[in-house]
Amino acid sequence: MKRWLAALLLCGPLAGFGQESLDQVMRLLAAVPAVEGDFREEKHLAALREPLVATGRLYYRAPGFLRKQTLFPQAEDYEADGDWLTVETPAAGRRQFDLNGYPQLRPLVEAIRATQAGDRKTLERFYRLEFEGAPASWSLRLTPLAPEAARYVTAIVLRGQEARIASVETLEAGGDRGVLTLTPR
Amino acid sequence: MNFAPRRWIPLLWLLAVLASGWIAWTTPVVADLTLFAPRADPAAELLLEQLRSGPTTRLILLGLDGGSEADRAAASRRLAERLRPDPAFARVVNGAETLPDADLQALLAQRYWLSPAVAPERFTAGGLRAALQQRLAELQSPLGVFQKRWLAEDPTGELLSLLRLLQGGLREPAKRLGVWFSPDGARALLLVETRASGYDLKAQRAVVAAIRQAFAGAGAATGVSLTLSGPGVLATLSEDRVRAQAEWLSGLSLAAVALLLLAVYGSARTLWLGALPMLSALLAGAAAVGLLFGQLYLITLAFSVTLLGETLDYPTYLFSHRRAGETVEETLRQLWPTLRLCAATTALGCLAMLDSGFPGLGQLGVFTVAGVIAAMATTRWLLPVLVPPHWRPPRPTVVGDWADKLLRPRPRLALAFGGLGVLLLIGLLAKAPPLWENDLAALSPVPRELLRVDQALRGALGAPEVGHLIAITAPDAETALRASESVGAYLERQRQAGMLAGYDGAMRYLPSLATQRQRQAALPEAETLAANLDIALEGLPFKPGLFAPFLDAIAAARAASPLRLEEVGESVLGVRVRSLLSVGARGWTALLPLSGVRDARALAAGLPQPDNARAYYLDLRAETNRLVAEFRAAALWRLAWGSALIVAVVGWGLRAWRPAVAALLPVLLALLFTVATLLALGERLSLFHLVSLLLVLGIGVDYGLFFSRPAADADLRRRTLHALMVCCASALIVFAMLSTSALPALRAIGLTVSLGAAASFIAALIVARPLLNRLD
Repeated sequence: MKRWLAALLLCGPLAGFGQESLDQVMRLLAAVPAVEGDFREEKHLAALREPLVATGRLYYRAPGFLRKQTLFPQAEDYEADGDWLTVETPAAGRRQFDLNGYPQLRPLVEAIRATQAGDRKTLERFYRLEFEGAPASWSLRLTPLAPEAARYVTAIVLRGQEARIASVETLEAGGDRGVLTLTPR
Repeated sequence: MNFAPRRWIPLLWLLAVLASGWIAWTTPVVADLTLFAPRADPAAELLLEQLRSGPTTRLILLGLDGGSEADRAAASRRLAERLRPDPAFARVVNGAETLPDADLQALLAQRYWLSPAVAPERFTAGGLRAALQQRLAELQSPLGVFQKRWLAEDPTGELLSLLRLLQGGLREPAKRLGVWFSPDGARALLLVETRASGYDLKAQRAVVAAIRQAFAGAGAATGVSLTLSGPGVLATLSEDRVRAQAEWLSGLSLAAVALLLLAVYGSARTLWLGALPMLSALLAGAAAVGLLFGQLYLITLAFSVTLLGETLDYPTYLFSHRRAGETVEETLRQLWPTLRLCAATTALGCLAMLDSGFPGLGQLGVFTVAGVIAAMATTRWLLPVLVPPHWRPPRPTVVGDWADKLLRPRPRLALAFGGLGVLLLIGLLAKAPPLWENDLAALSPVPRELLRVDQALRGALGAPEVGHLIAITAPDAETALRASESVGAYLERQRQAGMLAGYDGAMRYLPSLATQRQRQAALPEAETLAANLDIALEGLPFKPGLFAPFLDAIAAARAASPLRLEEVGESVLGVRVRSLLSVGARGWTALLPLSGVRDARALAAGLPQPDNARAYYLDLRAETNRLVAEFRAAALWRLAWGSALIVAVVGWGLRAWRPAVAALLPVLLALLFTVATLLALGERLSLFHLVSLLLVLGIGVDYGLFFSRPAADADLRRRTLHALMVCCASALIVFAMLSTSALPALRAIGLTVSLGAAASFIAALIVARPLLNRLD
């Protein structure tokens, strides 16, 4: 009990400080009505000799619309709107999923969408949040709560400045890693 | 000589009651539909087997309402967790289940025999390269996180196509918070498959209790409520309802009849004396059916209610005819020729049903014959030894002078009445209104609100309706699977032509050994495969040696022996296969349920007949309706035979044609009036109406016989009128009350018998006397 209290006393101010900056960043992000940018994604996989590179566009419209349109090396379209995910690939055509039905999928969407929306409540439904830095330059580490998601993803780290997300790093279970960098248009 | 019977008759009766009571008590009541089945009709037997224990009858649909969305989802998860370990359930699904790891490993090991995509061209350099490029694209995509798990072992993606196959068969409901929900999100949904048949009422009762108990433990705290439905649940619930309503209504009507008897005779003794023949009839009927058939159909039980109507009349005839100056035994001896004829006509009328290919009709016949004989014997021999020799009901059973007026023959009225009957008959024949109810659903004792709940749950879950299916019978499992494959190929062609939306079958999950061997033969030798893979990998970024597990897996699959039915066990695959492929008394039966059939006749006409097996196209709804119609035709035919027997018995018993006509013509008219009134009320005649008409025939012949009885004096005639009025009044009370029931079966019985009893009484009163008086 004593130890607990001591830990709380120690962490309290620190946590409070982090919380405040996090809330500040969340407020800044929430004020953004729409984002359009180019992305470049690099995946480093144990199975491959060289990283996989893909480029394309990312669109966001507050509060629930997020679209990732890959242009290279092949056209693919992922569009999340509210509870629905629409996937369009040349191989399988157009398919729709109810995100509620895929507990391992939803957190991946929310990592970017809810962060950009400044929706801390939704983020905390799926992740443990660790914030570092100040509004001018910050990083937010998301650790999945649900075992279904944790089986595949160890953590997602978002880095940014003020109301702009600059990169999203996905750390997968088994050491694979993907980095997505964003350039606003 | 009167001393001995006074002691041994009650003793004998008591022994008989105890013995039949014990037999009746131990006879199981069944709600299934075999009673409709004519024996020796293979398609009908297959159909009934499906209706009785087919996979769709074993489904229970669960809905969780109330509380918040999160509450409902949590309750769904906890309920499923509690139900899964219970061996009574073959399957518990709520959308959240992940395939157990053991099952996944087993599928992975067997993928090269089970996957329908396995073919030689898949393992050529070109085929492999196409597969590898697709895998690379998947790795690139956001979903690659989930798909890379099997990359090294299964680059051709056989496991994925197997999982997709297993997921099919059922359209999945929408999910919220990872579990199934109705489209509007108000109700969480689960689907349970029991191991026991849906019509094994005892097992289903236990299953329903287990579900409720598990739910009490899973969702009690959150204010979530449970709704459940499905064939088994409906069967148990409707049996409970029928029993409860029948008990409540018959209790109420018996109380009313008791009051009537008390008011008329002013004696409590008439109550228990009147009850004895009824009790004997019920026990003897049930015991006889139990002994001969080993089980009692619900419809027979419902019929027992109608038998009460007739058996109550026998003691009434005795009470009303008691006069000062003669003993009970003497009164009975006077009544005996008529009473005997009453019982004989009813019993013989039902005798026609005994030698029948339809067990349902046979039960009705046996029940009635045994019941009527028991009631008659009780009245004749037990009642006189239970009362003092000169006992009479305290209240005089003589009616006033108005009775003479009422009994005065009115030939013109009789003629007009008969004319009206003829007109009605002509009208019915000319207009030919829809007479019969062929829809089995209308026969169902299931209350309508339960059916609505069932439809709502079924719609939300997308559970398969009992509809169209193909049944294949074969001497062994392998032949059944092979036959299923050839029928499946036919169905696939028809599906592509748009003739049906889809089909299922055991062969989709467990191919025949022949097909598995064929797939095995499509796997290349190790060196060839390695060479092909090297060519395919050229220019792709996969690390060298990554696919060693793949090469090993193919080598292992080439060497191993294919998967047999005995080896599938309790896995997801095994449960699915066994629900569609089963062994019975007539060998193996494979089922191929169809969905979205456009033209059943064309589909059935083109159905191929595989070697060593037989394929039947079953349209369950059309088939059951056909069976009901056939059953009814058989019942009508038997009824006609029974009527002919009755005419013969009455003619022989009365030994003169005019009294015989006087006794029989009224009941004929009464039946006509009853049917016409029922149709005018908008009823369509179901089996329950028909069975009730049989009873009306029995009661009506009794009324006719008593009204046309040669009477010594006016006093006796008045007493007969008194007796008949009490009989008719009690029948009206009992059956008018039944006709208020919300259950279709009870309502049909009540309406028919109360109308019939009233019509029989009026017809006998108006028609029988004038016909006889011409004789005087």
